[in-house]
Amino acid sequence: MWKRTARGRELHFYLAGINNQNFLMRDRETGSWWQQVTGRAISGELAGSALELIPNDELTFALWKPESSKEHGHGWVLAPVAGHEKDYDEEWEKEVAKYPVPLTFPGQGLQDRDVILGVTFGGQARAFPLAKVRGQTPVEDKIAGVPVALVTGPDGESVRVFRSQWNGMDIDLYRDAQNEGQSSGQSPEWRLLDSQGNTWNFAGCATSGPAAGQCLEKINFLKDYWFDWKNYNPRTTVYRH
Amino acid sequence: MNRPLNRRLDNPRLWLLLGSLATFSLSLFLIPAFVIRPFRHQSERALDLAIAVKRIAPPLTLAALVGVLALSVRLWRRSSSVPRTGIVIALVLSVASAVMVRQNYFEWMFHPIRAAGFISAGDAHLGDKEMVMAVRIGREARAYPIVQMAYHHILNDTVGEVPIAVTY
Repeated sequence: MWKRTARGRELHFYLAGINNQNFLMRDRETGSWWQQVTGRAISGELAGSALELIPNDELTFALWKPESSKEHGHGWVLAPVAGHEKDYDEEWEKEVAKYPVPLTFPGQGLQDRDVILGVTFGGQARAFPLAKVRGQTPVEDKIAGVPVALVTGPDGESVRVFRSQWNGMDIDLYRDAQNEGQSSGQSPEWRLLDSQGNTWNFAGCATSGPAAGQCLEKINFLKDYWFDWKNYNPRTTVYRH
Repeated sequence: MNRPLNRRLDNPRLWLLLGSLATFSLSLFLIPAFVIRPFRHQSERALDLAIAVKRIAPPLTLAALVGVLALSVRLWRRSSSVPRTGIVIALVLSVASAVMVRQNYFEWMFHPIRAAGFISAGDAHLGDKEMVMAVRIGREARAYPIVQMAYHHILNDTVGEVPIAVTY
């Protein structure tokens, strides 16, 4: 998601082509060509410009709905575009998985179409295989010396990445498995604990403990196929633990 | 005695020019279409070439079409039916190229959202497990179902007075 302004101009983008299975877009105002995944203009009057990233989440509707209504009355959902309901393919991910790959990057232990979560921080890029993030949540790591935690939410699908620092200290986050196990009948409250005696919800905000009411810094990431991530981040490392 | 000889010398050049202009016109459409085709690898150089050709194609195909038209008029009267077929083919290719370089066929495959509509979260008929791209700017929270964005790919929206491009 990008802020669609460059050099002080508001831009309107449209789909204009494809580059190694990654979309190219053009803006109506100058006709410049942009790479969708990097937000950079590669050709035309605005070549060299970069769009500003708008932090966003990929969540299940069930998780987003209560979060959106908590502080905002209620959120808004993009309506299906009339006449295109049949074009929306629930199985699109399975379809895309069958496509041939235009580039291949063997040697770092990943298959070209493995889904990774890509994080760039302080000029360093790291790919976290989604299967690992799902399996051992939270995944804790350091990128450019900064501690990060990749957390799979209570729905088992949604992922968020936080800077696991509070009050200038690095904190260790872990799942409160005990709490999840003890409920009888009622759905257990999903939460994370840390070494400082705080509990944290999936929004990254402390619900109790000395940090109560404060939130961790959210870090943007890109869910991508390995070959695409590696293409745009040639020096990326891969998380393995 | 000079005239028929001149004509024979004259015509091949015009025919060659006619064929070249039609081929040139067609290549202005086909080169970028071939380079920027789905599922295949695009090298940086090929992509640069494709974009450069796309940029000059609209005026050049029009100029080529004018040339083809002028030649067709000139050659038509002196031609029998077989060469006239060639003239028609050259004309059709030039017109088709001039039209196609002005088309965005990627938007034929994935229709853009001309006017986005929004439903309040309480009224949306989405399954609990359906993934959305979620954004919050200021006091505004919006969700874009990924199954919809994976088809349209781009939405120009404004959230909390910030113009954003939702891309997937």
